[in-house]
Amino acid sequence: MYLEIVTPEASLVSGEVESVTVPGVEGEFQMLNNHAPIVSLLSAGKVKFKGNPTIAEGFKSKFKQEGDKWIFEINGGTLEMSNNKVIVLAD
Amino acid sequence: MANLKEIRNRISSVGSTMQITSAMKMVSAAKLKKAQDAITAMRPYSEKLTELLQNLSATLDSDSGSKYSDQREVNKVLVVAITSNRGLAGAFNSNIIKEARRLVDGSFAGKQVDFITLGKKGNDILKKTGKVVENNNAIFDDLSYDATAEIAEKLMELFSNGSYDKIMVIYNHFKNAATQIVTTEQFLPILPPEASETKSTGDYIFEPSKEEIVEGLIPKSLKTQLFKGLRDSVASEHGARMTAMHKATDNATELRDALKLQYNKARQASITNEILEIVGGAEALAG
Repeated sequence: MYLEIVTPEASLVSGEVESVTVPGVEGEFQMLNNHAPIVSLLSAGKVKFKGNPTIAEGFKSKFKQEGDKWIFEINGGTLEMSNNKVIVLAD
Repeated sequence: MANLKEIRNRISSVGSTMQITSAMKMVSAAKLKKAQDAITAMRPYSEKLTELLQNLSATLDSDSGSKYSDQREVNKVLVVAITSNRGLAGAFNSNIIKEARRLVDGSFAGKQVDFITLGKKGNDILKKTGKVVENNNAIFDDLSYDATAEIAEKLMELFSNGSYDKIMVIYNHFKNAATQIVTTEQFLPILPPEASETKSTGDYIFEPSKEEIVEGLIPKSLKTQLFKGLRDSVASEHGARMTAMHKATDNATELRDALKLQYNKARQASITNEILEIVGGAEALAG
């Protein structure tokens, strides 16, 4: 599935990933391919994704690698998934 | 005819002014490029957010009755005027001040109108005629979303605790480098989203409920709106300064050319004069 992480200042990540884990306000959850369409609010926490999408130049330092997963910390945000495309609006 | 030294001095002073204006133009052009890129960079975020908010609130059955959409009788108005910290940008700042005064005397005549100014130039002038409750110049030093969010939160607080019934934002909308459009937007209460063709959101899972998501999205959308206004204003400032400095350089070139012509004429006249004197002297000796 396709993942995009955008902030008000720049678009940080775009590309194919295998899985995405996000800190929803009602608990952390993971999405795999063909997950049902969902809209969720996110609380502060870690967005984890598996795969090798393109990370925008100059923002690589904000991403940590842990095993085969990339980790990105957010202060909150919104998530929309539909048609195998995940968009994370991070604050 | 003015004497030669005088003209020479003027030429050199016009020349150094020209150097300054053309350097400022170049600097503004470079900064404009950056500011434009910044506007483009935030577009995906703001578009997606607006789309989500529109789709969701359109499918909500009743008015959500959010504390930010509360339409009250308007007695106290807060106007957020976004100007710049520096001048020499043509009519950039004075247009905003003019618009602010128009609001005070026109649309909100007879109401209490207070200002929050972002930018030194607007503050300098508006504080003389109106009540400026707060001024923030530092925001432009390093324009970040976090700093903007703080201001937006303060505005939301001022609206929801009833200090003000309406909050307006005035800024220069960036159209292109030569054109800035003074724009007045209603910040709070939020206007009901425009009726647009809505995608069906029927088969979405919502976590938490739709209403709560909308509640959560509204503050984000307000912060983004203010951030966009600030970014637009910064780009407009550089555009306006670039245009103003371009014109100033052109005018200085014209002035310098005219002075050079005058200088050469004066020089020629003095040489002719000298020759006449020498010839006259020689003839007197010969006679």
